Amino acid sequence: MAAPVLRTRGLSKRFGLVHALAEVDFTLEKGEIHALLGVNGAGKSTFIKILSGLIQRDSGDIELDGARVDFHSPRAAIDHGIAAVQQHPELVADLTGYENIYLGREGRGRGFLSRIDHAELRRRGDALLARFPVDIDLSRPVGSLSAVEREIVAVLQALSRDGIKVMILDEPTSTLTEVEKDVLFRMMGALKASGISILYITHRLEEVIEIADRFTVFRSGRRITTMESADIRSKRLSLAELMLGETIDHIFPPKPADRPSGPIALSVRRLRRPGAFDGIDFEVRHGEIVGIFGLVGSGLDELSKALFGVDRAESGSILIDGREVSPRSPREALKDGIFLVPGDRRTEGLTLTQSSVFNVKLADLDRASGLFGLLRRRRNRRRARELAEVVALTPPNLDRPVSSFSGGNQQKIVIAKGLFTEAKVYIFVEPTVGVDIGARSKLYALMRSLAEQAAVIVMSTDCDEVHGLADRSFALYKGRQIAPPAGTMSRNDLLTAGIMGRLQ
Amino acid sequence: MTSFRILSPALLRCLGVVAMIAAIIAVFTALEPRYASYGNLSAVTRHMAANGLAALGLTFVVVVRRFDLSFPGIASLAAVTIGFLIASGYGLWFAIAAGLAIGIPVGLLNGFAIGYLRLPDIVVTIGSGSIAAGLAFLYTGGQSIFQNFITSGLLDLNDTRFFRINVSAYFLLAAYCLAGLVLHRSRFGVALYATGENPVAAHFSGIRVRACVMAAFGLSAATSVLAVLLLIAESGAANTNHGATLLMPAYAGVYLGAALLGGASIPATFAGTLVITILLDGFSLLGLPYYYSDGMVSGILLFGVVVFDPRVRRQLRRLAASVLPIAPNSEFRS
Repeated sequence: MAAPVLRTRGLSKRFGLVHALAEVDFTLEKGEIHALLGVNGAGKSTFIKILSGLIQRDSGDIELDGARVDFHSPRAAIDHGIAAVQQHPELVADLTGYENIYLGREGRGRGFLSRIDHAELRRRGDALLARFPVDIDLSRPVGSLSAVEREIVAVLQALSRDGIKVMILDEPTSTLTEVEKDVLFRMMGALKASGISILYITHRLEEVIEIADRFTVFRSGRRITTMESADIRSKRLSLAELMLGETIDHIFPPKPADRPSGPIALSVRRLRRPGAFDGIDFEVRHGEIVGIFGLVGSGLDELSKALFGVDRAESGSILIDGREVSPRSPREALKDGIFLVPGDRRTEGLTLTQSSVFNVKLADLDRASGLFGLLRRRRNRRRARELAEVVALTPPNLDRPVSSFSGGNQQKIVIAKGLFTEAKVYIFVEPTVGVDIGARSKLYALMRSLAEQAAVIVMSTDCDEVHGLADRSFALYKGRQIAPPAGTMSRNDLLTAGIMGRLQ
Repeated sequence: MTSFRILSPALLRCLGVVAMIAAIIAVFTALEPRYASYGNLSAVTRHMAANGLAALGLTFVVVVRRFDLSFPGIASLAAVTIGFLIASGYGLWFAIAAGLAIGIPVGLLNGFAIGYLRLPDIVVTIGSGSIAAGLAFLYTGGQSIFQNFITSGLLDLNDTRFFRINVSAYFLLAAYCLAGLVLHRSRFGVALYATGENPVAAHFSGIRVRACVMAAFGLSAATSVLAVLLLIAESGAANTNHGATLLMPAYAGVYLGAALLGGASIPATFAGTLVITILLDGFSLLGLPYYYSDGMVSGILLFGVVVFDPRVRRQLRRLAASVLPIAPNSEFRS
């Protein structure tokens, strides 16, 4: 085989204490489709972000066609022939496919006022599209296109620059249907035939077998292995074995020996929201942590929002302590005793510019105020101080703006905010995103102690987190609940259920 | 810099404002000795009362991060309503109640359109303000109303003094104390700040975000009616132009105050309006035409925002850093 088009040697990147990427040696051959596999946080995203110039490496080399290169921006990566399509491509919804493809490079004229030659755009766009065995209408506004059509527009946009040698696709199939996926794969096949190498992230092993020539597995920032896709069948490799590696049990608090036998706090019956989830059926007891594992697009986020009243479920019921509730807003859900620790804490959980005293009382102003709606300032402050102690906020400063705390401590403030409401059910979504490993074990211990006085649900795209923390767990796959008959699942089974949609 | 550490940043900002006011008074007194006279200071307190009330309601709207351009129009409509009723022989309190009863619903309607229907705030309030001002003009045909004003007791709002200070100043102080209690010591204030700074997190915390927006516009309308009442009392006649004179001082007061004290709040609005009022008064005493004085006040407003707004300063530091090779001190983070 000829020299590889792209090679990295000893590529490393640290975020604070976390080694996001450690000493990665990697080669990409000319004209191959190469899949990147790994659980969340394995380092795949960091790797492709460095290759596409979005972030800078700490050490190591990148070689392109045998020459060392340096990218200080996505622009520089593109100039060298590496184009990336993000997981959710940034397209302008109101502009047509043609206009999006050539956005910012519409005309030959100079300056703002040069006329856009629409016929010329159309000609160039059609010529580009004609290279591929796919058929889409580029004259429609991008906002009216389907998910796969938008993905193709984004790929065409990346390709419209000259001299692209490497195309990076970040989880392009996660939101696509089977039919749409075939369209994308045809496009990828045509790219490969034209000599372009494709590096793409996926969670699905059957896709690797179907489309990729080789694949590389990442785990905790390291490249674990690179193999031919044909080896998956011949060597009977299991995805779980490849992706999970050793258990990291020590960061999780011990689970109680006997099964929690408290009264049922929350039960969910045949909950359904078309397009998001269907037939969700489970219950959580007081003193118990129930875990739900699912990939991005599995309906996890939608389910948490339905339970919290942000978006209503179409049918089914939610019962708290045996009483039916149907929260139509977070306000009603809070009154029913449900508290959501949202996945996106910076936009959904906290008022960043304000202090922790301000934030902690926010979800229960009834409790925080007395006569004429005047705040019970001394009492609120004392309570905030107590809760800051409970969650071990560091530094225990109540007046600093929340934005000046680390991710883990911001999450502790959200938990303190929940404790202030004295809710009965706590729903955690992606509780440790943006939290470093040392703070993670403290958060897990906190969630376990929270379960002593309430019911806890943990929803995460991190299989280990769900399995390590929860007393019982199940998976969500494309909106369907994949639950074991016995209530407990091994780590491998949980991962398979969430990624493949079936029990082994 | 070390010597400043003993003072908290908040105290430092307050001292800055006091120094600024003292400097302005010193300059004007040097240029025009009448500036420090009792007569002028009395005029300052009266203008301060009107400007301060309009800015007070606007503060609530700014806290929820919206714009209200309708309050001058609402104030004009309320002014001619009050004038018309007094001229028709109704009592003063009835007329004031009627002014509020016509102004507040317009504000609430704004708030409904912006909070619940999610229409753009600037368009909605320009529209409703223009309609209100237009109605006021239809009412009067552009004429001033002054019949019965002397006998109605309206002028007493301007003329009555306790301990040589105008009654409107006491009125203003009471309104600010009440507003401060609401915005800084009550659950409603917490909800308003949360709504303004992160509406999504506020909604997720069970706060009625849309109702907060609506209430803020209602309050803005209410205080603009009270502000224009003082203007009528001072001029002795109600006309359609009264409302428009509130727009610039109110906005300048709220934003200058927010820049000076590091965020929109009741004390900030008070400080900002005070600075703007003594400036405007000084310029008019010097006989400067309004197009000069407005320009100078706006210049000072821009200066204040640039000097005191941390975001603007950070941007300037970034610009400086790209020009100068020395890295600026990084922000304190844990």
